[in-house]
Parts: sequence; structure tokens; C-alpha cells
Amino acid sequence: MRFEDIPLRQISDTSWEIPRTGGMLVPGLVFASGEMMQDIVRDQALRQVINVAHLPGILYRSIGMPDIHWGYGFPIGGVAAMDVEEGVISPGGVGYDINCGVRLLRSNLEIEGLRPRLPELVAALHREVPSGVGSTGFVRLAAKDMDKVLAGGSRWTAANGYATGEDLDFTESRGMLPGADPDAVSEVAKRRGHDQLGTLGAGNHFLEIDEVEELFFPEAAAAYGLFPGQAVFFLHTGSRGLGYQVCDDYLDVMSAYMRKHRIDLPDRQLACAHIRSDEGRRYLSALAAAANYAFANRQVLAHQVRETVQRVLGMGPRDAGIRVVYDVGHNNAKFESHELDGRRREVLVHRKGATRAFPAGHPEIPDAYGEVGQPVFIPGDMGTGSYVLAGVPGAMRMSFGSTCHGAGRRMSRTQAKQSVRGKSVFEAMEKRGVLVACASHRTLAEEIPEAYKDVGAVVDVVDRAGIARKVARLRPVAVVKG
Amino acid sequence: MTRGRYRLLPHTADLRVEIRGRDLPAVYAASVEALYSLLTDRRRVRRGEQRTLSVSGGTPEDRLFRILRQALLLLTVDRFLVRDAGATMERGKVAVTLHGETIDPARHVLYREIKAVTGHGLAVERGPSGVTARFLLDV
Repeated sequence: MRFEDIPLRQISDTSWEIPRTGGMLVPGLVFASGEMMQDIVRDQALRQVINVAHLPGILYRSIGMPDIHWGYGFPIGGVAAMDVEEGVISPGGVGYDINCGVRLLRSNLEIEGLRPRLPELVAALHREVPSGVGSTGFVRLAAKDMDKVLAGGSRWTAANGYATGEDLDFTESRGMLPGADPDAVSEVAKRRGHDQLGTLGAGNHFLEIDEVEELFFPEAAAAYGLFPGQAVFFLHTGSRGLGYQVCDDYLDVMSAYMRKHRIDLPDRQLACAHIRSDEGRRYLSALAAAANYAFANRQVLAHQVRETVQRVLGMGPRDAGIRVVYDVGHNNAKFESHELDGRRREVLVHRKGATRAFPAGHPEIPDAYGEVGQPVFIPGDMGTGSYVLAGVPGAMRMSFGSTCHGAGRRMSRTQAKQSVRGKSVFEAMEKRGVLVACASHRTLAEEIPEAYKDVGAVVDVVDRAGIARKVARLRPVAVVKG
Repeated sequence: MTRGRYRLLPHTADLRVEIRGRDLPAVYAASVEALYSLLTDRRRVRRGEQRTLSVSGGTPEDRLFRILRQALLLLTVDRFLVRDAGATMERGKVAVTLHGETIDPARHVLYREIKAVTGHGLAVERGPSGVTARFLLDV
């Protein structure tokens, strides 16, 4: 089968191969149903899977997830693992929002009991959890504190009263990537991030209150502390302006490196440097620092959610029981150990709009989840719902321990906005039983449920493909957006 | 100065912008204005302060890329909003003069967060009726 000039070979009902042609060093592998593929081929995402396959040192496959869509350089929903000696690191393979990710907080509360207080609670969360363009956080950082956040991530938040030890235990990499060097982060980047610690931002970032609606894998749900009818809090944000600027700064560095070393690639946004080069090492140090800022940002927000809910409901921490299920990023590049061709190798895995999904028994997941696999959170659109998944061994064999990260857009922002008015979105959401508080009607119109693919279909593909397993479905009852 | 015009081209996730102008300086200035039109209602921005952006060397695409990145930093670092822009170019050196003011939350609404100006699909093309530029903003 060919879609325009891209040859595609269907391997199974959930996976497709793009055979190696031209300068591709490996084939492409895309997880999608036949119906989804009709949508995917409408933009440049598959072309970008091919472009990524040209990167020096890429191993096994250039991979696309079912929520893949057109990004810059790499597709969003792309995974690429590199040989650490011969391979490259590419800022475009991580994205501007470094370590953008999701955190799920569980509680002892049930939605039915909470419902009469929801309007008051949502108003308070909208007030206390800064969101929207240009919003500033309540944490005031001195210059030396910024460097400590960049070096320590969630550890800094624990030392400053915003986190418990348990919060860190249930955060990917315990909320701190090693090797972070604050000096590798420009002063401009630090200025952009200075007032933004503890802010959601805008666009598709959000805070949601959800109800656990259905369980598919009760043993995993029990390990994660989830039960039907439960109120949970879902946070989606990243490293804010600091991360965007780190990406921008290092795209320049990498472009100069490519000119110097005559690396020729199909797209300038694939700018990269060898992992072992000075430029590559320095970007990895800045990347870790920005990732730590993102961990700290989500931790400060979680603290703020916890404090606000307890205050509004007049409950103590023990009664409210708001605890971290897990915090995991979906825009990162990490050194990991994977088995390839029968031997274990250290590789650098780029995940841009893809979530790490390690299986039961993996040493990097919390002991409490050792028998069921790492939790993975897949936000859908704001009207339909989201999913909790668990990592499975198949992901280690097929996708470097990775799975999807969201529903993926199917409609441009302009199309979405033209199809509705902000105010009518409020009304439509209320009819669906979802309370909405947002800083901008325009953002809300761009984020209408119809603008996104069906998250249920995306999750079905990764479940059937064997790169994650469905644990629970969450139904939104309130959304705070920027 | 002849002002350029902009329109949004289809893109699933981000904002893909096309600018048309009589010549390169008109396109550079119109690109900055388009960037700020996508961020706020420029009619509400007063022309109280002036800023200048300068770039030189490189291709027209390189210059457009650097101008737009500098222009975005005015907002994200200095909280400055642009009302209008004019550009001159001499021997490959471009000077973009901007008028605007610092954000006043009482009068200005920011529509969206633009994370970055990307180099993806960045193009500047000359044709019989002028110059066309296309660029992608990550939102």
C-alpha cells in the first residue's frame, strides 16, 4: 500500500512498516489501526518518521505511536533510540516543552460525595493554581535557588516544604535526572522560567478532576490505589518557558555542529550532535536541568492542589488522602538499558510525545508497582475521558519501553475555533457534566473535544499491540485550563 | 512602507503562517506584526515605546528566523507587546523598528502561549508579485 509517495506495509491490525529506502538507516514502525492510518496520512507525520530514520546511530526502527501527528523535525508521538557511541542527540527529538508530562493524584474522596462542593472547589483551584498565558507562580526564586531547582528537581521541592518523600518515590527518576548542569542553561532561559515555577501554562495543559469510571485490570488498579467512583486529580504541564528556551538555544548549537561536521539531514529541525561530543554532552546537561524544572513544577502544583482541596473541604491530609499515583514525562531523552538482537545495550531513547512504559519487574519503577508495571497516563480530550495504563514486556521488545501519550489532534486550532464559539463550549461541556474554569475562551475553543482523535481508539491500539495494558478509564468532572 | 498580509495555513497541532509583502523588509515587518496579532489584539497596544531588532548575514530564511525569535523574546522575557513594525535593509543588514508597550493586564489579553518559532518548513520565496514567507509557530 502507498499513501502518496510513502510505501506502507501492514504488519498486523495495529502496526505498519515503512520499508527502508534512500538514506534511511532503519525502517519505520507505526502503531495504528487501518482507520487511524487514514487520518495519519493526511499530514506530514509519516514523512517525519522517515526523516528520523536518517539520524546517525538510530537503532532498530523509527517508531510512531497511534497518536502521532505532524511536529517539527520529529513527529509528535515519535520514539527513536540511538547507539551511545555512534548516535546523536537531537533537541527536536525531545520537543520544546522538555519533560512535559502528567501526574495523577489519587484521593480518599468519592465524586458523588464531592459533587455539591465541586463549583466551590473548581473556583478555588482556578484561583490557586496559576494558569493561562503570562501567569506567574507563587514560588519566588532567588538566582541561587533557580540553580538548585535545575540541579535538584523534586528534591529541591522536598527541601522547601512542597513535597514528601513519598511524592518523590512515585515520580519517574524520583523527580531528578542525574547530570543536570545549571551552567548549561542560558540566562535567557532562566529569566523565562524565573516566575513560572508552579504554573500550568496554556494550550493543552490542564488540571482535571476525574472520576474513576471503569477498571480493566483490577490488580494494577489496586496497586495504584484506584477504585470506581474515586475522585482523582490529573495534572498536565512541563518545563514552561525555561524548557522552550533550552530547546531553542541548543537547536542553534546543533545546527552549527552539523555544518562543522557536514551532517546532512532532510530537515533542519532534526539538528543534532553526537552524544559523545562536547555539544551533545552539554545539551544533555541542559536537558536534564530543564527536566528537573518540570518535575519541580508539577510537584509544586501538586502541593498547591493538595493544600487547596484540604482547605476548601476542611479536611486534614489523612482524611483527604491525596497521594501521588505516579508522575511520568512524555518529552525526554534518557539513557536506558535495552535488549537488541539478543544482547543488552545502553541506548539513548528520544521520546517526543511518547510515554515511558516499563513492565513489571523493571528496576526503575516503584516497588509498590513491581508486580503490575509502571503506571502510564493518557489524557484524552476534555469532554470524553482519560486512561490509566500499565507498562508491559511487549513495549520493551517493540518500542524501547514506550507507548502513546494522548489522543493526538485531528483538527487544526483554526478549524476548531471556527467550528465553535468559546461560550458555547462552556455550555456544551456543562451538558456533558463537566465544569470548566479557564483563563481564555479562545484556548477553550481550540481545545474542543472534536479537535482530538478518539482516545479510546488510541488506547485500544496500544493495548492490542501489546505495548501497554488498559487499567482504568477516567471521566472528567471538572477542568481548569489556561 | 507597504504592509504585508498574513494568513494561517492548515496544520494539525501548531500555527503555520504565510506572509505576503512587496519586498523582504515588508515581509520581515509583517511577520513580526503577524506574530503579535496571534498573541493579542494589537489595536489595544499603545505605541508608547520603541525597540529595535537587528540581524545581518545569512539567507533571507535565516534572517526571518532570527527576527521572529528575537521578537518573541521581547514578550517572553521583557513582557513587551508590539503594536506595529517597520523594517529597513541595507547590504544584508536588517533593522526592525517596533512600537509598543509593556503588558498591562488591565488592558491586554494574551490569546495563547507561543512556545517557539521553529525552523520547520521555513521558506522565503520571491515571485513576480512580491515576496512570500512561511513559518511554523509551536503552540
